[in-house]
Amino acid sequence: MALQTTELKPSVPSTPLLDFWKIFRQNRMALVGLGMLIVIVIVAVFAPLIATHDPSVSADVTSADVYQPPSPQSWFGTDDAGKDVFSSFIYGARVSLIVGFFAAFISVILGGVIGIAAGFYGGRTENLLMRFTDIMLVIPDLPLMVVIVALTKPNLLNIIFVIGLLGWTTTARIVRSQTLAVKSRKFVLRARAIGAGNAHIIRHHILPLVMPLLVVNAILVISLAILNESTLSFIGLGDPTAISWGQMLNFAFGRGAMSVGAWWALVTPGFGIVWVVLALTLFGHGLEQVLNPRLETHHLMRARDVIRHEAAGKPLHGGTRQRVPDEAPILIEVNDLSISYINEGKPPARAVENVSFTLRQGELLGLVGESGCGKTTLVLGLLKLLPAAGQIVNGEVWFGGRELTALTEQEMESVRWKGISIVFQGAMNALNPVRTVGEQIEEAIVKHDPDMKEAALDARVDELLDLVGITAKHRDHYPHQYSGGMRQRAMIAMALACNPQVVIADEPTTALDVMIQAQVLELLDSLRKRLGLSIIFVTHDLGVVAEMCDSVLVMYGGVTAEYSDVDTVYNLAQHPYTQELLKAFPDLTHPEKRLASIPGYPPRLDDLPAGCRFAPRCPAVSNRCGGEAPAIHQLSERHFVSCHLVEKPSSPTLPPQGEGSLSPLPKGEGQGEGKG
Amino acid sequence: MQDYFLEVQGLKKYFQAGRPGLFNRSVEQIHAVDGVDLQLKRGEVVAMVGESGCGKSTLALTLMGLEEPTAGKIAFESKDITHAGEHARKLLRQKIQMIFQDPYESLNPTQTIEEIVAEPLDVHGLTHSKAEREAKVVKALEDAGLKPAASYMYRFPHQLSGGQRQRVVIAGALVLEPLLLIADEPVSMLDVSIRAEILNLLADLRRTRQISIILITHDLGTCGYFADRIAVMYLGRIVEIGPTHEILSNPRHPYTKALLSVVPVPNPRLRKQRFILQGETPNPINLPGGCRFHPRCPVAVVQCKLTDPAYVTVGQAHRAACLLLDSNIS
Repeated sequence: MALQTTELKPSVPSTPLLDFWKIFRQNRMALVGLGMLIVIVIVAVFAPLIATHDPSVSADVTSADVYQPPSPQSWFGTDDAGKDVFSSFIYGARVSLIVGFFAAFISVILGGVIGIAAGFYGGRTENLLMRFTDIMLVIPDLPLMVVIVALTKPNLLNIIFVIGLLGWTTTARIVRSQTLAVKSRKFVLRARAIGAGNAHIIRHHILPLVMPLLVVNAILVISLAILNESTLSFIGLGDPTAISWGQMLNFAFGRGAMSVGAWWALVTPGFGIVWVVLALTLFGHGLEQVLNPRLETHHLMRARDVIRHEAAGKPLHGGTRQRVPDEAPILIEVNDLSISYINEGKPPARAVENVSFTLRQGELLGLVGESGCGKTTLVLGLLKLLPAAGQIVNGEVWFGGRELTALTEQEMESVRWKGISIVFQGAMNALNPVRTVGEQIEEAIVKHDPDMKEAALDARVDELLDLVGITAKHRDHYPHQYSGGMRQRAMIAMALACNPQVVIADEPTTALDVMIQAQVLELLDSLRKRLGLSIIFVTHDLGVVAEMCDSVLVMYGGVTAEYSDVDTVYNLAQHPYTQELLKAFPDLTHPEKRLASIPGYPPRLDDLPAGCRFAPRCPAVSNRCGGEAPAIHQLSERHFVSCHLVEKPSSPTLPPQGEGSLSPLPKGEGQGEGKG
Repeated sequence: MQDYFLEVQGLKKYFQAGRPGLFNRSVEQIHAVDGVDLQLKRGEVVAMVGESGCGKSTLALTLMGLEEPTAGKIAFESKDITHAGEHARKLLRQKIQMIFQDPYESLNPTQTIEEIVAEPLDVHGLTHSKAEREAKVVKALEDAGLKPAASYMYRFPHQLSGGQRQRVVIAGALVLEPLLLIADEPVSMLDVSIRAEILNLLADLRRTRQISIILITHDLGTCGYFADRIAVMYLGRIVEIGPTHEILSNPRHPYTKALLSVVPVPNPRLRKQRFILQGETPNPINLPGGCRFHPRCPVAVVQCKLTDPAYVTVGQAHRAACLLLDSNIS
């Protein structure tokens, strides 16, 4: 009973700032940048305490004091006026940072406002603002700055304004495109639907999503502003009363530091500029990575070599090698396959555990379960296309006399596409938008059969397109000219390019309309008959597979719930999960009946319940389920159920051989054995 | 004449395809909604069914006032709201609310659940104290089945599952206590096991609060449940409309028949004759002459290319627009 209310724990108010710091801390680049920045800010703020001399006081300078090399009195030597270079350097940090920050402030506010206004209001406003931005962008900044500063008085305030008013163009462009992207998102439409006005939408929906980008951009604008100030000062347009690093360079350069070999007078301010710009750049890029996790490169990297280790937790059963009637040759045999996602510092996510099945020639196997039940992980595992963190921790996959988990990456190349190919969900994202569909199919063929002649290749592409019902005139069209159903057909054509024996279809119809879904299903079914293909069809929708599958494997929380032929699963289901899934289905023949729903949600794969994974949602849960995971019981030749309930000796579906089949077949001791 | 809660007459919404160029002033028209008539009673649920591109989503946005109608009339509570002004529109928003298709996209990722649900209250200035605001948010969340509300209020959308998010969207619509809810494919992005929950929730709301619902979907299977009437749309027009049981058991338009035949049946023993239409909804720029369904219609005759069919009453409150139903022709 206690199990039934494993609802959400009362949530602590989550602080985004704390989360942010957690990720930020792990980014070394950002940390180094931040550290460097803090150092220089401290230096600037506490300049009077740090500096050994006050540079504004001009003591009596004798010619002997000019361009003195570094000494205990003046650590970095003296400059052309006999002043201490170190002290000027410290005070110079103040000027450079003040100009940088304030100029950037002006730029970012200006750029942000123009960008958001252009992106949000669109139409004429956008046209006007963006053409203005374009013009500002093509005018070379530096000469313009020089002219303006030369015409006005070169004091600090003017310099800040000139740099600030000329540095907003990139910000405006970046902010505008981000605003456009955010504006088209559905939650903005939702806000309109509840009656929100423009001001409210900009404040609550646009700004929070533009802000991260603006912050990152601001950091880079600051470094640009500091560089600009240094440049202006270097060419003699700095404020003569405020000694910045650029000014120091200017004086040293113009007053013979080079000729007397006083390198310290040049290197010191140069070092300051490099330090600040480097700090800001590192910090900005690091911040960008933290705020925009998509830049992280972790997804779909090549799988690492298989590392065999004890599967987390004990295996649920000893093994279930099926003895299926020998109608057709077995193509794929999967035994006790377990796949975990292993991330440092986190408990492993046991995404697939001890799953076994066979696939015969011409068989259509439906792999069914809710989102997050490990279906996609399982099929990616078969092809060893798992993301970097995903590892096959146990089990074997037999295909064509070879054990796939033991194969090297190179050997796998000969299996992928030629033996087993895959059609991914979301056909739009899987096609390259800038190449025609015909070219992409060609590419798929050439990659696996590089010697094919031009004419043969042409004929093959036409043949493949014809096979999936796309007329030849669409061959040279781009993916965006295709409708959703046609793109999915093109993906299927690509999967067939190398005459595979097995095609895995991962939710191929999920985003499609019922009519198009029916078309794609009909196509797959006809291909199976015509080409003798075997198909693994992954879906969350039991209804979709009922009409054409031979067998169905229902997965829940990474394990097999029920596996049998299609008729048994739909009419004699024994696992409560299968039964509940079937009840949740709208039945047009009894539209007045209330729909049953399964309360709760599938377990998180890194936080699995101790016993049966379905126990927290199971209507037939008993005390035993909370502590003991059920073994997979074989009820008949081809009916496997992992539930304690089927253990009753009086179970009517027991096969003639009786209790014997309840105990798992002896297999699976060798799970630790080393391979490869 | 009966007073309808919502009455739509000859509603049209055309879009322009592309902007007029410097040399090319004539712009093609996209006929997204092309003459829709619909009446809705208080507390009634009507399902609008059709494939993508049939104009059902545009119809929803036009009814919401998020798109300006090209022609036609919309009356709500006997008042013409076709071109309601800004002020009137804002008041209407309290009465007509919308649920969007994609619960992953329709929530702002930077807002907490509380902020999302309270937003309509803030926008309309409906609450006068913090306690009142919170009480309303809690009630809406719990009415939408998120109990206890306190364990959800301070979360962010990404911490919730798809089904929970859709409940948040529904709570955000309920908090204004609307009279009419337009649900645009509320379950198509969700797992089948979760769909039932959301559909049951909508059915309960309609029962307990007498909310009228316009359910927009491509799947006849999901709407059979609680819709009183079904309207089947094709290329911007309703081709058949009638009571749910009539449409499901006795469809008269060939398009309805086809849609019904492809609804998956979760039983292999009931494998049935499917009636799969080839191709997809043609683009609504160049509408086919005559009956707009004839190029895909499996039973079209020559006459169908020439005559745009009028509605034929084929049963109690059951009408379909097909020439073959007209006794004069067949």
